[in-house]
Amino acid sequence: MSRRVGSLDIGLGIVTAAAFTGLYAPLVAVSALSFFQLVRLRGVMSFAPFSLEPYARLWVNDDILSALMTTCFVGAAATALALGLGLLFAFYFVTARRALGTLMQVLIFLPFLLPPIITGLALLIFFRQLGIERGILTIIVGHVVFIVPIIYRTVLVRLQLLGRSLTEASLDLGASQWQTLRLVVLPQLRPALIAGGLLAFSMSFDETLITLFLAGSDTTLPIRLWGMMRVGFVPEINALATLILVFAACVTLAVGLMQQRAGNRAL
Amino acid sequence: MPTMAGRAQRADDVARPGPAGSSPASLRPQGAPADAPNSGSERLLPLLHVENVTKRYGATTVLHDVDLRVADNEFLTILGPSGSGKTTILRIIGGFESIDRGRLMFDGRDLAHVPINRRPFNTVFQDYALFHHMSVRKNVGYGLRVRGTPRQDIARRVAEVLATVGLDEFGDRYPAQLSGGQRQRVALARAIVCEPRLILLDEPLAALDVNLRAQMQRFLKDLQRRLGIAFVFITHDQEEAIVLSDRIVVVRDGRVEQDGTPHEVYHRPRTSFVANFLGENNLIDGKVSGVDGGMVRVETPLGMFAGTASGPVSVGRPVLLAVRPEHIAAAPGGANEIAGTVTDIRFLGPTATLDVSPTTAPRLTIKLRQLGGAVAMAPGERVTVSWSPADTAVIAQGPTEPGRAGSAPP
Amino acid sequence: MTGARSVLPKLAWHTANLGLPVIFVLAPILSFILISVWTLDHGHVIARFTLANYAAFLTDGGYVSVYGTTVLLSLEVTILNTALASAVALFIFRRAVRIRFLLLMIFVLPLFMSYIIKVYSIRGILGQRGLFNEGLLALGLIGQPIGALLFSRTAIFLTLAILYLPYAVLPIYLALDRIPANYPAASVDLGGRTRDELLHIVAPLAMPGIVVAAVFTFVLTFGDFVTPQMVGGTEGFTFGRIVFSQFGLALNWPLGSAFAVILLGTALMAVALAGLFLRKEHIR
Repeated sequence: MSRRVGSLDIGLGIVTAAAFTGLYAPLVAVSALSFFQLVRLRGVMSFAPFSLEPYARLWVNDDILSALMTTCFVGAAATALALGLGLLFAFYFVTARRALGTLMQVLIFLPFLLPPIITGLALLIFFRQLGIERGILTIIVGHVVFIVPIIYRTVLVRLQLLGRSLTEASLDLGASQWQTLRLVVLPQLRPALIAGGLLAFSMSFDETLITLFLAGSDTTLPIRLWGMMRVGFVPEINALATLILVFAACVTLAVGLMQQRAGNRAL
Repeated sequence: MPTMAGRAQRADDVARPGPAGSSPASLRPQGAPADAPNSGSERLLPLLHVENVTKRYGATTVLHDVDLRVADNEFLTILGPSGSGKTTILRIIGGFESIDRGRLMFDGRDLAHVPINRRPFNTVFQDYALFHHMSVRKNVGYGLRVRGTPRQDIARRVAEVLATVGLDEFGDRYPAQLSGGQRQRVALARAIVCEPRLILLDEPLAALDVNLRAQMQRFLKDLQRRLGIAFVFITHDQEEAIVLSDRIVVVRDGRVEQDGTPHEVYHRPRTSFVANFLGENNLIDGKVSGVDGGMVRVETPLGMFAGTASGPVSVGRPVLLAVRPEHIAAAPGGANEIAGTVTDIRFLGPTATLDVSPTTAPRLTIKLRQLGGAVAMAPGERVTVSWSPADTAVIAQGPTEPGRAGSAPP
Repeated sequence: MTGARSVLPKLAWHTANLGLPVIFVLAPILSFILISVWTLDHGHVIARFTLANYAAFLTDGGYVSVYGTTVLLSLEVTILNTALASAVALFIFRRAVRIRFLLLMIFVLPLFMSYIIKVYSIRGILGQRGLFNEGLLALGLIGQPIGALLFSRTAIFLTLAILYLPYAVLPIYLALDRIPANYPAASVDLGGRTRDELLHIVAPLAMPGIVVAAVFTFVLTFGDFVTPQMVGGTEGFTFGRIVFSQFGLALNWPLGSAFAVILLGTALMAVALAGLFLRKEHIR
C-alpha cells in the first residue's frame, strides 16, 4: 500500500479512534468502577478510594457464583459435544457426495446465520412438542446447535488444507482407517480443534438470547445478571464484568496467537 | 523520427498526469515509424543512467556501486543468479525502492524524488498482477483512465495495443479465462499503452513452459523492435539473455561483473564467474609467459597455450584460460593441444559431450561438445584434443578471482 | 475415512450426519412454522388450522407500525455501522503488516465479551446518573444531565451500534485482506494515485465483505430483544421484543410463531437481496 500518510489516513484514524472509544469506554468505565466505586454523599457524586470490596462481595455472592458454575458447566458440556459433532460433520463433508454434504452444511450453518431469537424459539417449541421440560439439558442442546458451525468450519478448513496425501500415505504403509485417524489426522487437526474449542466456549459463555428461551429454573450467568439488572444495581457486577473482560482478552489473544502461528508454519 | 525536444516534452506529459488528452504528442498516430535499433555507438546521452548506486537493507549491502546505462530503444538484460540484486535494480528504476548512495538519472534529471506513479516507466510484474475483477480491456486501459484520458481515446488506444499483441478478440474476457501466455500479453499491453520511455520486465517468462517460452521470446524481441521502446529485462536464464538482448549486464552479489553485447559476454568473458555462468566453459589456471601483439602465451600445468586477452595483461600475471567445449575438436591440429583418455560420452540429442582426462593430470576433465551424429569414440580410448587460440579467452586474475583448472559445471 | 465394509455402518454414518442437523435444526424451524397456523384455545395450543395469527399482525393495533419502526431502526444502525466498519477496516488495512493483527484483535475482542455485560456497561454510561453525564457536568459542558440518552430510541440505536460493530469490521477486513499484494504496486506503477487505487481496486474487491457486514448487522439488530428492553424503557418496543413477549407472560405461542415467521422472512429477504447484489459484482 502507499506509504505516505495523507489526509485520508488522518480522517480514517479519527473515525477509528472514535469507534474504539465507543467500543471500549463502557468497558473501561465499568472496570474502573469496580475498583473505585461511585458513592453519593449528600447528593454529590464522588469516587471512593481504591478498594477490592466488590471482588470480595462477589466471592461470597452465592447467586452469582452458582450461575457462573452453571454457565461454565454448560459451556464445557456444549463445547465437548460440539467438538465431537464438528469432527463428525467435517469428515462427512469431505467424503460424502457433494449434494449430501452441501445439504448438511446448509442445515448446520442455519442457526448461526439466522437471528438467535429464531433459533431459541424454534428449539423451545420443538422441545415442548416432544414434551421435554426446560432445563440444563435443553440449554446445552441450544448452545450446541449454536456453536457447532464454528468448530465445523475451523476443522473443515484445516482438513481441506491437509488434503488426501497424508491419509493415503498412512494407508499405503499398512495402517487401518482407525489408526490413521488416531495417529495421523487428529494430531494434525489439534490446532484447529483447540482454537475452535476456545472460540466455541467463549460464545457459549456469552450466549444470552437463545438461553433465555430454553432455561427452566436453572439460570446461567447472563440470565442471572439480566434479572439482577432489572431489579437494581449491585456493585459485584462491575467486578464480575472486569473479570470477564480479562478472561475474554486472554482467550482472544490465545486464539489469535494460535492462528498466527498456524499461518506462519508451512504446511 | 521525433526530435529530442519532442521526446522531452512527452516525458513531461507522462510525468505530470495532465488534463484529458490535451497533448497530441502523447497519442502517437498509428503507423509512426519506430526507430532503428540503437547500434550502441551513439551513446551521447543515455536514456537512463543508474549511477554508482549502493543499496542497503539494514546491515546487508544489496547493491555495491552498481553503474549501468540504458540507451534509447535498446533491449537490455540484467542477468544473474537469484540473490544477485537484479530485481533490486529493477525496483529502484521503477521507484519501488530508494537509493542509499548514487543517483538515478533519466534524460539528465535525477529521479530521486519522483514517485512511482510519475515516472515514465511501466513494469511487467513476474506474476503479471492483472486485476482479476476487471476485463482485459479495463486492465489495459487502466493507465490511461487514471490519467483522465477521454473515453473514446482510451477505447481506440486499447484496441490498437491489443492488436499489437495479437489479442484483438479478447477484450471482454477476464484474466481467469486466459492462458498463461495470453495473460503475459495482456500484462505487456497494459504496460505499453501509456507509451512509457522504458518498460521493466521482471522475469516475465519464468512461469511459462519450455515451448511457450521460446515462442514468447521471439514475440518479445519482435515487439521491442516494432515499438522502439527500451526494454530492461531481468532473468537468471543465460540462454534467454543471449537470445533476446542487445546488451547484457551480468551481476553477482550486487556487483556488475561485465557489461557488453551477448557476443562479447559469451566469447570474451572478463571474469571466471561470467565465463561459467553463460554456457559451459573449460577453465585452466596459468601464468602469462609472454605477450605478442594480441596473442598471449600462457604457461599451465597442462602445457603451454596461446590465447586472446580481453584486457591488458603483463608477464607473470596469474590468469585463467577459458575455452568453450564446442570449440574443442577431438583430433590434433589446433595450436593448443592436450593428450588424454576419453572417460565418458553422452548423447544429448542435437549434440554429444565427451569427457577427456588429460594424461598429465588424470584427475581433471576437459569437456568437449560436438554435433550429435558422428562420435566415433569409446570410453577408454586415447585421444588428442586441440583448439585454436582465437577461441581461447585469457581472463586476468585479481585477488578476488579464485580460478581452477579443468572445467566447472555450469 | 469411510470404507465401511457392510451396509449397516454406512447407513448409520449417513443417518447420523444428516439426521442430526435435520432433527435439531430443520425440525424445530418447521415446528414453529407449523404452530403459527394453529390456534390458541383457552391457553392451550390445538392443532386447528387458522390464519388468524397472521391476520392479527396486519389488523391488530400497532404490530405493523412496530415492525416498520424496527426495520427502520435496523436500517439506520446498518448504514452507520457499515460506514464505520469500512473506515475502521480500511484504516487497519493501510497500516504496516505487523500492527494490523494487533489492531484487528482490538476490534474483535468485544465479540468475546459477555453480551449482557456489554449492554450493562453501556447503560451505565448513558444514564442520567451515568458516567457520560457526570463527566459532562463535571467539565461544565452542560448544566443539566441529558435525559434523552437513556430509555429512548437514541439509546437503543447507540447500544445496538456499539454492540454489533465488531460483527461488521471482521468480514470487511477479511475481504480487504484477500486483495493480492501486488495490485496496489501495479496500480501505482501504471500512474494511479491513492484515489484511483481506492476507487478501482479496493472498493470493488471489498464489496462482497461490505455486503456481508451489512446483512449481518441488519439481521442481528432486527432480532435483538434484550437491548431494547434494557436501554429502551417505554420506547423499547421493537419487533423482536414483541415476539419474545408472546412466549413469556402473554403465552400466545401461535401468535408469537406467526411473528417469528415474519421475522424469519424478513431476515431471509435481506440475505436474498444481498445475494443478488453480490452476484452482479462477483466476477471470477
